[in-house]
Amino acid sequence: MEKQRLVVIGAVAAGTKAASKAMRENPNLDVKIFTKEEHISYAGCGLPYYIGGVIKEKNELVVRTPEIFKREQDIDIFIKHEVTKIDTNAKKVYVTNIDTQEQLEYGYDKLVMATGASPIKPPLENIKLKNIFTLRSVADAFEIRDLVDAGKVQKAVVVGGGFIGLEVAENLRHRDVDVTLIELAPHVLPPFDEEIALLAQAHMQEKGVNIVTGEKVLGFEGKDEFVSKVKSTAGDFEADIVVLSIGVRPNVKLAVDADIELGTTGAIKVDEYMQTSVKDVFAVGDCAENINLVTNQPAWYPMGSTSNKTGRIAGYNVVNSDKMDSLQGVLGTTIVKLFDMNAAKTGLSERDARRAGMNIETILVPATDKAHYYPGNKAIITKLIVEKASHKILGAEIIGSGVVDKPIDIIATAMTLNAKLEDLTKLDLAYAPPFSMAMSSTIMAANVMLNKLNNKIDTITATDLQDKLKYNQVNIVDVREEEECFISSIPGSLNIPMNALERRSSELHKDKETVILVCKVGKRAFLAYLKLKQQGFENIKVLEGGINAYPYRVE
Amino acid sequence: MAEKFINARGLQCPGPIVELFKVAKAADSGDIITIEVTDCGFSKDINAWCKKTGNELVSINEIDGIIHAVIKKS
Repeated sequence: MEKQRLVVIGAVAAGTKAASKAMRENPNLDVKIFTKEEHISYAGCGLPYYIGGVIKEKNELVVRTPEIFKREQDIDIFIKHEVTKIDTNAKKVYVTNIDTQEQLEYGYDKLVMATGASPIKPPLENIKLKNIFTLRSVADAFEIRDLVDAGKVQKAVVVGGGFIGLEVAENLRHRDVDVTLIELAPHVLPPFDEEIALLAQAHMQEKGVNIVTGEKVLGFEGKDEFVSKVKSTAGDFEADIVVLSIGVRPNVKLAVDADIELGTTGAIKVDEYMQTSVKDVFAVGDCAENINLVTNQPAWYPMGSTSNKTGRIAGYNVVNSDKMDSLQGVLGTTIVKLFDMNAAKTGLSERDARRAGMNIETILVPATDKAHYYPGNKAIITKLIVEKASHKILGAEIIGSGVVDKPIDIIATAMTLNAKLEDLTKLDLAYAPPFSMAMSSTIMAANVMLNKLNNKIDTITATDLQDKLKYNQVNIVDVREEEECFISSIPGSLNIPMNALERRSSELHKDKETVILVCKVGKRAFLAYLKLKQQGFENIKVLEGGINAYPYRVE
Repeated sequence: MAEKFINARGLQCPGPIVELFKVAKAADSGDIITIEVTDCGFSKDINAWCKKTGNELVSINEIDGIIHAVIKKS
């Protein structure tokens, strides 16, 4: 019997994963992978850390080589071979050998497209100058690191404050480069809600990254073909190198030319089996569309974690067409380390949920990652977003210097299994002081959310308070000690320490809305809340997250 | 010039900063105050406190979960 032929286009994460899985399912398969790139199976997400020297060796970035694939798995990988056309009727791909310009044709029984995504390079003035980079391929990282190693980079401008941009900024700072980051949105980390993103932003600034938000890059100026200046709506910035990290777009030209349908996000439309609109053609990784598990709507998450999963499923399905595996959707769970701060997110942000017209409630709860008395415990802040009526968990964001990956993974797991808020409060999670609080941060956040939903406590978010402050509609009472307020407090707030509250509550107007501040965990504010309620105050709110999570101006 | 030591280990917010206020108030210009704290929010506080009071933060480091800060009173 003739061997079944699998052709894969693309050889980074999803393509090699699909090929490897297919080969394991059917060792008699004839598998060929074509890639126009020189490097394969590389750690794309590790590139910023190579620039910073955290990852020291070039070899560490390349997970596996074509020789290893051939020797260990009998998979043929053709590097620098560009697929130029797919004929889905004749089931053939047309390939150009980039070095020799030789034109080749290969037939397939099954085709997996893993064409990836490419960084956006907008047509700005002088964008072709040398030393203006994007960071997507291993070659980009090598070039930037070589320049830094050679001492040629004193000043850098990073355009875009998403994960890659922020990671590049951090890593360049570690190399003592003077870094300015320009972001078009009002804050960095655009997928996160404002009050979380601003905490990350403030931390980056403390660590010496000059961050400019809400401004646009207009073009570049150069000297002898090399970039020397970035022109923006916020003025000019000198730069020895520029790293553009504005975002990526799915590589879909081959699919479009072959009449393979795209989805509403612009990526290749696939069903839960990773099948495209054309029979025997699969699409995986960054070029393929995803379904958001919360909304059940198409979404696009070009991420390594999702790529590996979709690749594996397609690899299984090309062999087992009678009992296919499926992926119902993803949550878009992400995580990033920024100097000494970690930020993670899963599901919808508050902004996403409101935009989708959902009736939601949110809560922001500070806690520690270990027992508060255990040395080395660090602060983390959990924000939960739930649907008001059903108590379904819609999303979460966690930020802080402590461990955030564990709680975000707990919540992502719970959401995947359709958990409600009440389920979160009852999880039996591992506890000993070096690992967690007795009531873990996740359980605590869920309990506070339940209190809020059951009207046991009324709270206000920092963002809403900031809005109210503009119109001077609110009394802010800071119940911390005088010494703490001296260090930083919200402008216009009145300091009445907790133990003086009963005595001095007459200073407050019962008819005007009153807000109570906290220090770290909000315990004092909650106690003050109960006290004032007893005294007949109706309109009281606790500031969620207290002063520590307050990302706006303090004095 | 005197050297003063505050053991604020194990005290939770606002304990350490309140202790520091007390000792700093009684100290003379040029005095050195060393404080040891386990509360993780302290680093941020001490930086802001020094900026506001004009006292000098001579050094700050964290070893095994204990923050050691040395301050010189202005």
